[in-house]
Amino acid sequence: MKIERAAVIGAGVMGSGIAAHLANAGVPVMLLDIPTDNGAGRNGRAEGAIQRMLKADPAPFMSKRAAKLVTPGNTEDDLARLSETDWIIEVVVEDLAVKQDLYNKIEAVRREGSIVSSNTSTLPLAKLIDGMTERFARDFLITHFFNPPRYMRLLEIVAGGHTRPEAVSGISDFCDRRLGKGIVMCRDTPGFVANRIGSFWLQCAAIEAIDHKLSVEEADAVMGRPLGIPKTGLFGLLDLVGLDLMPKVDASLAGALPQDDAYHGIRRPWPLLDKLIAEGYTGRKGKGGFYRLNKDDGGRVKEAIDLTTGNYAPAAKPALESLQLGKAAGLMGLVEHGDRGGRYAWAVLSQVLSYAATHVQEIADTVWDVDRAMQLGYAWKYGPFELIDRLGAAYIAERLKAEGKDVPALLATAAKAGAFYRVHEGRKQFLTATGDYAEIPRADGCLLLEDIKRASQAIKKNGSASLWDIGDGVICLEVHTKLNTIDTDVFAILDTAIKTVEKSEEYKALVIYNEGTHFSAGANLGLALFAANTGLWPMIEGMVEQGQKAYRRMKYAEFPVVAAPSGLALGGGCEILLNSDAVQAHAESYVGLVEAGVGVIPAWGGCVELLHRFAQDPKRPRGPMPPVVSAFETIGMAKVAKSAFEAQETGFLRAGDEITFNRERLLADAKAKALSLAEGYAPPEPIELTLPGPSGKTTLAFAVRDLLAKGVATPHDEAVADALADVLSGGPKADMTAPVSEKEILALERAAFMKMVRTEPTLARMEHTLTTGKPLRN
Amino acid sequence: MQRNIVIAGYARSPFQFAHKGALTKVRPDEMAAQVVRGLLDRTGVDPAGIEDLIVGCAFPEGEQGLNVARLIGFLADLPLGVAGMTVNRFCGSSMQAMHIAAGAIQMNAGEAFICAGVESMSRVPMAGFNPMLHPDLAERFPAAYISMGETAENVADKYQIDRTRQDAFAVESHRRATAAQSAGKLSDEIVPIRQGNHTIDTDGCVRADTTAEALAGLKPAFKTGGTVTAGTASPLTDGASAVLVTTEDFAKANGLAPLARIRAVAVAGCGPEIMGIGPVVASQKALVRAGVKVSDIDIVELNEAFAAQSLACIAELGLDPDRINLDGGAIALGHPLGATGARITGKAAALLKREGKSLALATQCIGGGQGIATVLEAA
Repeated sequence: MKIERAAVIGAGVMGSGIAAHLANAGVPVMLLDIPTDNGAGRNGRAEGAIQRMLKADPAPFMSKRAAKLVTPGNTEDDLARLSETDWIIEVVVEDLAVKQDLYNKIEAVRREGSIVSSNTSTLPLAKLIDGMTERFARDFLITHFFNPPRYMRLLEIVAGGHTRPEAVSGISDFCDRRLGKGIVMCRDTPGFVANRIGSFWLQCAAIEAIDHKLSVEEADAVMGRPLGIPKTGLFGLLDLVGLDLMPKVDASLAGALPQDDAYHGIRRPWPLLDKLIAEGYTGRKGKGGFYRLNKDDGGRVKEAIDLTTGNYAPAAKPALESLQLGKAAGLMGLVEHGDRGGRYAWAVLSQVLSYAATHVQEIADTVWDVDRAMQLGYAWKYGPFELIDRLGAAYIAERLKAEGKDVPALLATAAKAGAFYRVHEGRKQFLTATGDYAEIPRADGCLLLEDIKRASQAIKKNGSASLWDIGDGVICLEVHTKLNTIDTDVFAILDTAIKTVEKSEEYKALVIYNEGTHFSAGANLGLALFAANTGLWPMIEGMVEQGQKAYRRMKYAEFPVVAAPSGLALGGGCEILLNSDAVQAHAESYVGLVEAGVGVIPAWGGCVELLHRFAQDPKRPRGPMPPVVSAFETIGMAKVAKSAFEAQETGFLRAGDEITFNRERLLADAKAKALSLAEGYAPPEPIELTLPGPSGKTTLAFAVRDLLAKGVATPHDEAVADALADVLSGGPKADMTAPVSEKEILALERAAFMKMVRTEPTLARMEHTLTTGKPLRN
Repeated sequence: MQRNIVIAGYARSPFQFAHKGALTKVRPDEMAAQVVRGLLDRTGVDPAGIEDLIVGCAFPEGEQGLNVARLIGFLADLPLGVAGMTVNRFCGSSMQAMHIAAGAIQMNAGEAFICAGVESMSRVPMAGFNPMLHPDLAERFPAAYISMGETAENVADKYQIDRTRQDAFAVESHRRATAAQSAGKLSDEIVPIRQGNHTIDTDGCVRADTTAEALAGLKPAFKTGGTVTAGTASPLTDGASAVLVTTEDFAKANGLAPLARIRAVAVAGCGPEIMGIGPVVASQKALVRAGVKVSDIDIVELNEAFAAQSLACIAELGLDPDRINLDGGAIALGHPLGATGARITGKAAALLKREGKSLALATQCIGGGQGIATVLEAA
C-alpha cells in the first residue's frame, strides 16, 4: 500500500502536529478544519495552525520547507478533495456523533482502498464503526499519536474485527518507516495501553503524594530519576501537558472502565486541582500550575505549590534521606527506606506495577508491548515489567502478600520463573502468559547494537569506545562516554578500527554509531579544562593534533566510513560527520559546530571541511568570499541545525547523505549505505581551496565590529571571531591567486585553537558550560 | 551653460522591500529594462535619437553585473546604435549618470540620453558577493569601510539629532508618502513591472499606520544606546528608475514635454564617518554655480538615507521642511541604492511642473563620504 497523499481533519494541537509530521516525511497533506467566518478566510483555522507551528518551540516542522507540503482547507469547500488522498486521519473533538457525522461525509467522497483512521484516545473502535457501512469498517482503524507527534515515538494502533489486514500492515509499515514511530498494537480497551497505565500512575502518584505528605518537589524527585521517569516527575508532567487535561482523561476512563477495575479505588475529589484550573493555573500554557515562575520585582523565581494550603513558595531542593542514598542503593534502597520518600515510592510502584501485571493481557499482546508503550509514549526509561525485574518479581510478590494485598497471577508466574525478561543464548526474551519465554520481535530492517552486544564480544574495547562486528563485513565504532564525548581513547579505538578493516579480507566498511541519547556532544571539555588549569598546554595541543590525525586517517582510509548520528552531534561530534564519506542521519539529529560558544574554534578539521562544502556548493555565488562568509557565520554564531533536514540545509550534511526516521532502523540503513559505497571505493582527494587571505579577514573583522557596536557580540566573541577569521581566510600569507592546502588550514586551526584556549575568558566559558550546561556570554 | 539641457521624462518601477517584497524574484536587469521601455513609451521619444544609455548601480555584479547598461539596452529593444555605460558612485550613481549626460551634451557629444538606475538589494547584497577590503587601509583609515548605520549615529551625535526628532521625521515621511499614494500622485511615475503572469504596480515600503509611539518602541539597529533604528533608516529596497535628458532643442524638435531644465550640478567629498552630511557642501557648491540662494529654492528632494542625516542637512543648509520631499522620502518609499538619484532628480523636476514652481534642488549623501546635488529650474 502506498501513502502518497494524506489528509488530517481537525487543526487543533494534535491534528496540526500530525499533519506537520506527515509533511516532515515528505508527504503532501491537506489540513482541514471547520470553516471560519471571522474575516480570516474560510481556511482560517488551518492557516492559523500552520502559522503557529512555524513559530512553535519545540518545532513541529523539521524544516521550513516541510510547511509548504501542508495545504490548509476547510471541511465544507475541500471535502471532495479527500478523494485525492490515500489516508485520512480524523482528529476532531471526542464526540461520537460529531465523528460519525464526519465519517459519513468522508465515506461519500473517499477513494476505493483509502484508509480512514481516528486519533481518538477515549472512544472505542467498536462504537466508532457502529452503524457505519461494511466498506468503512474494513478500511478503518485507530491510530493514536502522542503529543507532540514529531517527538513522541509511540503510535498505538487499534484494529477492529472488520479491519482488513492489509490496512493494518500498510499503515503500520508506513508509520514505522516513514514517520519513525514505534508501533504498539493495542486491544480495543479504554485508554488503550500507555494512557491506561499512565493515567493510573498519575492519579495514584498524586493521591499518594498528598497522603504521604510529600511536597511537590519531593514527589517529583522520587517519581523522576530513581524510577527512570523524566525529571519532570509527576507534577512537572501535569504542568507540561496541562492540568485541565487531567479531569477530562479521568472522567473518560472512569466512565469506561468496569466497576471492579482498581482505577476506581485511587480516584477521589481533588479540590486543589479544580481550584487551580478555575483560576487559570492550567500549567505551562497558563499562568503556571504546580510550579510557577514568579516574575515579580523583575526576578525569575521558580515556585512550587503547597499541596495542603495551595500557597506558592520558592521551590526547594528535596532533602529526603531516601533520595540521598543515590545510585549505589538503587531502586531497592529507595523502596526499602522507611522515610516518607521510600514509603511513597513503594506505595505508588506496588499499585502501578500490580495494575500493569493484572491488565496486560486485556490491553496488549505482551508485557514487552506494555513496556514499549510506556517507554515510547511516556519516555520512561524502564517499562513497568522492567521495573518489576529491577526490584525482583519475587520481592514484590512477597511484599504484597505480607501487606495482605493480592498478587496478580502474572506477577506470581514471573516470581516463579525468575523475571519478566531473560537473556537466552545471547537473545533477550520476555515472559508470556503461559510462563514460557519468547524472543523480542525485531521488524525487518531493524538492527540494534544492543542485540549485537548481547550476543557477541567486542573486537576491541576501552573505557571510551568499542568496536563491534555488525555483520556482512561492516564494523561499528561505538562511543560510550558520558554524552559520548570524544577523547584520546576514542581516537585509539578509531585507529584500531582503521587498521582492522585495512588489514582484513573480511571487513570492508566502518559505521560510527551508538545507541545513547546523543551521537556525541563534542570533545571532552573537562579534560581540556583540567589540562589548561594545570598549564599542560602541550597536552592540549597534543589532543588537538591527535584528533586531526585520527580524523584524517579516517577520511583517507581505503574503505568507506559512514557516520550515523541521532540526537546531538556537536563540535567534535559534528566533525566526525564532516570527515566521513557519508552520513546516514536519524531525522532527530541536532548538528552544529558550537566551539565558539566555549571560546574556541573547530580544530579537528571542522573549519576546512565546512569551507570545502560551501566552496563546492553550486548554489552559492562564485569568488573567494562566499564560502568564507558562510562558514564564518555558521561557526561564529555556533548555529545548531535542529533536525537532519536543517543540517542538510545548513551544509553539515551533503545532498547525498540520507535520513532515517525510525531510530531502530538507523544502524541497518547506515550499514547498507556503507556497503553500497564499498563497491569500487576510492578515498577522497585532499582539499585545496582558493581563499582571500588578509583582505577577507579584514572584511570579516568589519562585520564583527558592527555586531559589537550593536551589542549583539561581546568583546570575547570578537576575539574568537578574529581567531576564526584567521583560519577561514587562509591565514596571513594566503592570496586568491594561490590555493591553500588542507594541511595548511589544519595548522591554522591548531594555532587558532591554542591561541584561544590560553585566554581567561575562554576558560571561564568552558568552566561555565561544564557546570551549568549552558553557554557563558562574556 | 552654453546649451539648455532638460529633463524630458521620468519613470520608475514600484519600490518594494528587498527579500520580502514583490520584486524579490525579478532580475534587476529585467526590471530596469521594463522601466526604460516604459519611459520610451510614455515620452514617445524616437529611440534612434538616443546617444547613450547610462545606468547607475551601486553594486554592479551578479545579475546587475557585466556592463548592465548595455544588457538593459538589449532587453529594452533599444536600437543597437544606442550605446550603454554603467556608472558607480554608490547612492549617487544615477544622479551621476545625469551629470555625465549633461556634461556630454555640453561638449557636443550627443543630444539625448537615457539616464537610469537600478538596484536589487534582494539579489545582490550590499557590499557585493566578494567584499575584500584593503587590510592596510583598514588599519590606517578604518572610516574608509565604516558601516552606513554607524555614520548615521555619528551624524546624530555630532549634530545632536535626538531620537524623538528622528522618529517624528520618519512618521512625517510615511504620512506624506501615504497621502501621495492615496491621492494617486505616485501612479503617474510608476511603470508596472510584469513578472510572469502578474504585475507589480504599487510601492510596497510605505506604512500608512506608522506612529511615533510604534517607532519609539524599536531598538537601536546599529549601536547599543544609539538613536538610529530600522524605523528611521531607509529600508533595503528593490527598484529601478530612468529619466530622459536632452537638449531643449531636441525636446522641441521631437515634441517632448520637458519637466525642468538642469541649471547646475556638483559633487563634494566629506569625512566618510559622517557621510550623511555630504549633501551640505555639494548643495552649496551647486547653488553657487546656479547663482541662487537656498531661500530661492521652492522644491527640495533630499534623499532620506537616515532621518538623522536628513535633519542634520536640513539644519546646516537652512532648508524649509515644508518644501522638502512633498510626496515622502526614502524612509517611506525605499532606497534602491543605484536607482535613487534618478528618482529624486526626476521627481524634483516633475514636482516643479506639478506645483508650478521655479527652482528645485535634488541632493543625496553617498557612502564613503560624498554628496551630490543638482539644481533644476522650471522649463
